[in-house]
This record gives sequence, structure tokens and C-alpha cells, in this order.
Amino acid sequence: MTLTRRQTVVGLGMVSAAGARAATPRQGGTLTLMIEPEPTSLVCFNTTGGPIIAVSSKVTEGLLTYDFDLTPRPELATEWQISEDNLRYTFRLRPGVKWHDGGEFTSADVAFSIALAKQSHPRGRNTFSNVTEISTPDKLTAVLVLSHPAPYLLYALAGGETPIVPRHIYEGTQADANPNNNAPIGTGPYRFREWVRGSHAVYVRNPDYWDKPRPYIDTLVVRFIPDASARVAALETGDVDLAAEIPLSELARLGSLPTLGIEYRGFEYTPGTTRIEFNLDHPALRDLRVRQAIAYAINRKVVLQTAWYGYGLEAPSPVSPLLPKFYDASVESYPFDLAKAERLLDEAGYKRGPDGVRLRLTHDYFPYGDGYRRVADYLKPALAKIGIAVTIRSQDFAAWLKRIYTDRDFEFTNHVMTNVFDPTVGLQRYFHSAGYRKSVPFTNAAHYSNPEVDRLLEAAAVEADPQRRHDQLDAFQQIVSRDLPGVNLVSVRQSTVYNRRVVDFTTGATGISGNLAGVYLTS
Amino acid sequence: MKSLGLFLRNPTGLAGSSLLLLVIVAALLAPVLFPGDPLDMATTPFIWPLQDPAFPLGSDSLGRDVLAGIVHGARVSVLIGFASTFVGVVIGTLVGACAGYFGGRLDDLLVRLMEVFQTFPPFLLIIVLVSIAEPSVATITAAIGIVSWPTVARLVRAEFRSLRERDFVLAARGLGYGAARIVFLEILPNAAAPIIVTTSVMVATAILNESALSFLGLGDPNLVSWGSMIGAGRDQLRTAWYLVALPGAALVITVLSLNLFGDGLNDALNPRARGR
Repeated sequence: MTLTRRQTVVGLGMVSAAGARAATPRQGGTLTLMIEPEPTSLVCFNTTGGPIIAVSSKVTEGLLTYDFDLTPRPELATEWQISEDNLRYTFRLRPGVKWHDGGEFTSADVAFSIALAKQSHPRGRNTFSNVTEISTPDKLTAVLVLSHPAPYLLYALAGGETPIVPRHIYEGTQADANPNNNAPIGTGPYRFREWVRGSHAVYVRNPDYWDKPRPYIDTLVVRFIPDASARVAALETGDVDLAAEIPLSELARLGSLPTLGIEYRGFEYTPGTTRIEFNLDHPALRDLRVRQAIAYAINRKVVLQTAWYGYGLEAPSPVSPLLPKFYDASVESYPFDLAKAERLLDEAGYKRGPDGVRLRLTHDYFPYGDGYRRVADYLKPALAKIGIAVTIRSQDFAAWLKRIYTDRDFEFTNHVMTNVFDPTVGLQRYFHSAGYRKSVPFTNAAHYSNPEVDRLLEAAAVEADPQRRHDQLDAFQQIVSRDLPGVNLVSVRQSTVYNRRVVDFTTGATGISGNLAGVYLTS
Repeated sequence: MKSLGLFLRNPTGLAGSSLLLLVIVAALLAPVLFPGDPLDMATTPFIWPLQDPAFPLGSDSLGRDVLAGIVHGARVSVLIGFASTFVGVVIGTLVGACAGYFGGRLDDLLVRLMEVFQTFPPFLLIIVLVSIAEPSVATITAAIGIVSWPTVARLVRAEFRSLRERDFVLAARGLGYGAARIVFLEILPNAAAPIIVTTSVMVATAILNESALSFLGLGDPNLVSWGSMIGAGRDQLRTAWYLVALPGAALVITVLSLNLFGDGLNDALNPRARGR
């Protein structure tokens, strides 16, 4: 095995600082973090649920962590090498790391955890599908052997994506039902103390953490507050120091308060694109001209300003502009043009009837938060202008999932497509024809199928050359934007509202969903 | 006629009925006063009341005309309020009349049925019914009606139980009248007063229930309702309080007018309250 391309960082976890950093961080204090909704488990090896990832990462770490530009940095792995043929990943592990119960962290834990992710994690199944063997030549070395290159694999090793769990606790048990999921043991900066369901979870400082003198704070309290107004009030009174799920309508006012600030960084690992998705089996929506007409009738600027209060970027491509490494800005964006939209509908044979209506469609918005409902409220009058009468249909989350992905009893919907850190991991399932799998949520509900797109996605999934892969993904974005299985709308900019006494809570791409090892309080 | 005179001389009843008339007229004239869909984005977002003469009550976060929303919202409130009460009164009267008139096993069975319905928290039951079906005017009307009938049924049953032993009923039986004729033509007119009074309060409750449903986002998303306006404005409560206060005021006035109307009716129709 030759090790020509050494992507090596031998480091002590030096990460770029967020904001002004005092010379010496202050020790002590209690930090309160707000998570919404309450997680259903405290370890994220089998889920992509945001709240679970956020709590899991404080205890259960990953091999790597990532800078704002997604450059990998050491966490439990200190050094990593990828063989020239891109089929062999060798990780040198951090020596002297202890589990919270005193056990020694070794390569066996890594091998076990990656095998577990391959088996149980919704994305891990694909991320590690090419991994044929995980060997552990010694206690501090883990080697992944692949059947094909996996260019995204190195970016999927954050604690929130592929958590390294203690083998001695999970081995031989049914992992999903392991009591550790509700009272976790990890290697992280905080030890689990208690979880009071419906209220809060408490974590305390791990004095034996590998990155001394971190962590600086004594106690980390994670609170769950279901009511949005109460969440806002808790920030204003100082009951809560950090929170991400804040109504966009309140953000500007909160940011203007002297005690609070807003941080937009720390979400680079999980960008997403909101979009309309059409059911291509619908007789009218099967016609490309009808879909184009709808695209031309939508003003992204207005969607951004009204539905998302201006927090975000217009997003014409399925790849989010917040994922600049892969985003192709040159795709067809369908600039707002009502005359063109009307002409396309005329050509498609949908003439205005005596009541001015050309076509009636039902819209099912994604029932999560307030924004998608507001997009629906925008679409109804916007499409009425070109003679498409839209009926909005409300339902709860479970009913929406069943309608869109199991029954496919819908015409068009608006929802969000999470890109995560790589289009192969985040987007392939929405556009590859094999992603049309009934009953699997967040897949190809449109029933979109284009052999060229399939070929490009498959090639990009195993393409080791970054430039060639970039070209393939650009071509994919171009074709999908022409075929229009959906209209991409906006990439919403997520944010953390913080109390100004909190420093260094966002030091990388995962923000407050990272391990928060470096956070400290000035008062 | 004597009752009508009494009602018209009662200031409470008169105030209630005039306000109610105003709401009903607004509901009827909404398409004339504000043609077009009140959910359209008519102007720029967040115009405050009295700022722009074209939009006297301002605009919401999506630039929708608040005044048009309130006037059109009256339609939904009045429609669902009266329709669901009608459903509730019809079911309740039929069940209550059968139980009260026939008594015996049938009475036991129907009373158990009322108890089953009354043990559910009514609003929770409405939410469950609307979530199972899709939210629309028809399903919301049906759900509120289904939840409200036991109140009427209990009242009607009690009236029928006392009236069925009266001499005029015995006389009707003696003349060989059938059960249906006795129930609907002899007893029901004599039991009507309390039903009518209850009805006015039921309409108010139904309007509140519809608003609460819409507030929670379970209303018909294609129609503007006072509840949905309050629900949408809640996010901006701190920055644009009028978005909650104005439809809230409309709701208060309507429900108050129905209660005053009911009080006036009660005073006019209740023989024991007369001459107070």
C-alpha cells in the first residue's frame, strides 16, 4: 500500500475561533441550551433527527470534526491516510482516551461503530455501503477497506453523523433497545447526569476529557420548551443561553437586544433547499410546459421575503447555494415571467375557462413549522394569476408522509430537501430512479426518472477525481433543472440565538450541534 | 307575540340582536364589499391600521388586507356557527325526544350514548374528528355538531319526561294520535323555549370552537377565518399586535352579541322571569 496523498493533520484539535476570544477562557458556570422538539433518544447512531444529533454529540463523539468550509479536523482520530486507489482509509486514533465508565477507547470501538452505522443509520447504509472490511491492526489503528471509492466518506465522520459508541456496552445487545440510548456513556466533554422527560436533560463536565483544560463549563443543561413564544421569552430573560429553533419573525427583534446576538455560521454541515415537488404521474403535471409555467409564475424573491422573512438565499438548483463546493449557479432559474407562463399553458392546451380557470390543483404543504404553510399561502394567489386554481390541504406530519411517500395521493407539495455535506449522500435519493421507493420518506416522490441523471449520480458516487466529480454533479444539476421534477425555491439560513456571555459555541460546521467542548461563559 | 314585544323592550336582547345583525350583514355582503380572494397578497406586508386609506385596518405579514379578512372571516364564523348548531340541535332533539318520550330500555341506551360522548373532552374530540377527515367547512361543521348534540339531547329529554305526563298529552293519546304526531306537534312546541335559548349559546360556542381549530392550524386552509388570522398573527404578537387584536375583537363582539341575544330570549320566553 502506498500512501502518496497524505491528508494528514497531526493536531491538538486546533479549530478556528468564533468571534472575539478572551486570552484565557473562564472556568465554571452553567450553560443552558434549548433543543426543540424534545429528542426521543440521546444517541444518534440510528437516526438523522436534528434534536437527537444535537444532544448526542455532547457525549458521543466522532472520528473527525469539520471547519466552516468542511475541511476535516481531528477529533477521536488524530491522523488519517487514504490510499492512492482511494480504497483504503487508515485512521490513527487518539491515545489515552477513556470512556465515561473508565473503559479504554480503542480501534475495536471504531470498527464496531462503523459496522453499526452501516447497519442502522439511515444515511450510513449508503455512506458505508462500499466498505467491505474494517480491520484493527492494533489498538489505535482502524482501517476501512472499500470495494469502490467513496468520495464523500471522509465527510461523514462527525459525531452527529457517525457516532463512535462504546463496543463493550452495545456488543451482543439489540442496539435500538440498549439502555445506553437513554443514559449514554461516551468519550465526549460532558457526562450524562439525568433526563427528566418533558423538561430537561443535565450533563456535567468530564474531568478526564482528552482535550484538557476543556471543557470549561461545569454543567450543561438542555431544556425542551415546546411553545415558540415561551422559547423567545426564555432567551430574553436569560433563562436560556443558546437556541436554534426560534421563529424567524422574532429574529430581528431578538438580535437588536443588548444581551443577545445571532450567529449564522455553524450550519454548513446540513444545508437544505426548499422546493416544490410535482407528482409526475399526474396527467397535467406530466406535461413539462405546465411545470415550466408554474416555475415562471413563482417569484423566489417574494417567497424568500414573505415566507422566510428574508433569511436565506434564492436557490434555483437542487444543490443549495449554502453548499458552495457543489452548487452550480448557472442552472436555468426560470425568472418570474407571467406572460411566458400563460403562453406555456396555452400551448399545453389548458385554456382559460369561463371562470378564468385553466386547471385545478391541490397542494399539500410540509406540516413542519410555519414556513411551508406560508409558502402555500403565497402559491395559491401566485398561481391564480395564471389561471391555476390551487386548493391547499392541511394534515399532520404522519398523514403528510403517508400521502406523499406511501399512497402518492398528491399533486404537488412544498418541502425541504436536506443536502447535508455532499450531494451523493443528501440528494441522490430524490433524483435517482431507484429513489422511487414507496413508503420510504424523503425519497423520489415525483417518480422522476432520467437514465442520464441516474448514470451521472452513480458515476459521481464513486468518482475519486474531484474535478471530474464536480463536472458530473454540475451536469446533474443542469439536467434536473431542465427536466423540472420540482421547482427549487430558497435555501433557508439557519441561525443560533445566543446570550452574549457565551463564547466559542460555534467553532465549526456543526455549530451548537457539535460537542461544545470549547464553549465558556464570561460571567 | 307577547314574547317578541318583551324581547324588543329588553335592552340586553336588543343590543345583542343589533350587533348580531351587523355581523350577519357583514357576512352576507363580504363578496360585494371585498370582491376577490381575501387570501390574495394585496399590498406590502405590515401596513399598520389607519396608515393607508386603501387598507384601513392594515395588512398582515403576507400583505393580505386585514379588513377584507375580518369581513370574509365573518362568513366562515357565521356559516359554521349556525350550520353546526343546526346539526347538533337536530340530532340532539331527535335523540332527546325519543329517550324522554318512550323511556324504558331505549332511554337507558340513549342516555348511555350521551354519556359516552360527554366523557370525551369536547374540543379534543373535535380535533380527532377533523384530523381523521380532512379539514374543510363540511367536516368542521359535522365535527362541532357531533360534539354538541348531547347538551341539547339532555335538555330535550328532561323536558319530554315532564311534559309526557301532562293532561294535554294524555288527551292526545286518548284521541288515538300516533307517537310521531304527539312528539312533534304536541310536546315539542311546548319544549321549544329552552331549546331556542340553548341554541344561541351553542352558536357562540361553535364559533369559538371553529376559531380555536383554525388557530391551531386545523381549519380549512383555503378560507380566511378569525381563528386562522389570530393563529397567523401570533408569531408577530410582539411587533404587530393588531394582527391578533383586530380579529380577536371581531370574535369577542360576535360571541358577546350571541350571549346577550340568548339572555334577552331567556328573559322573554321564561314565564318565571317575566315581570322581573
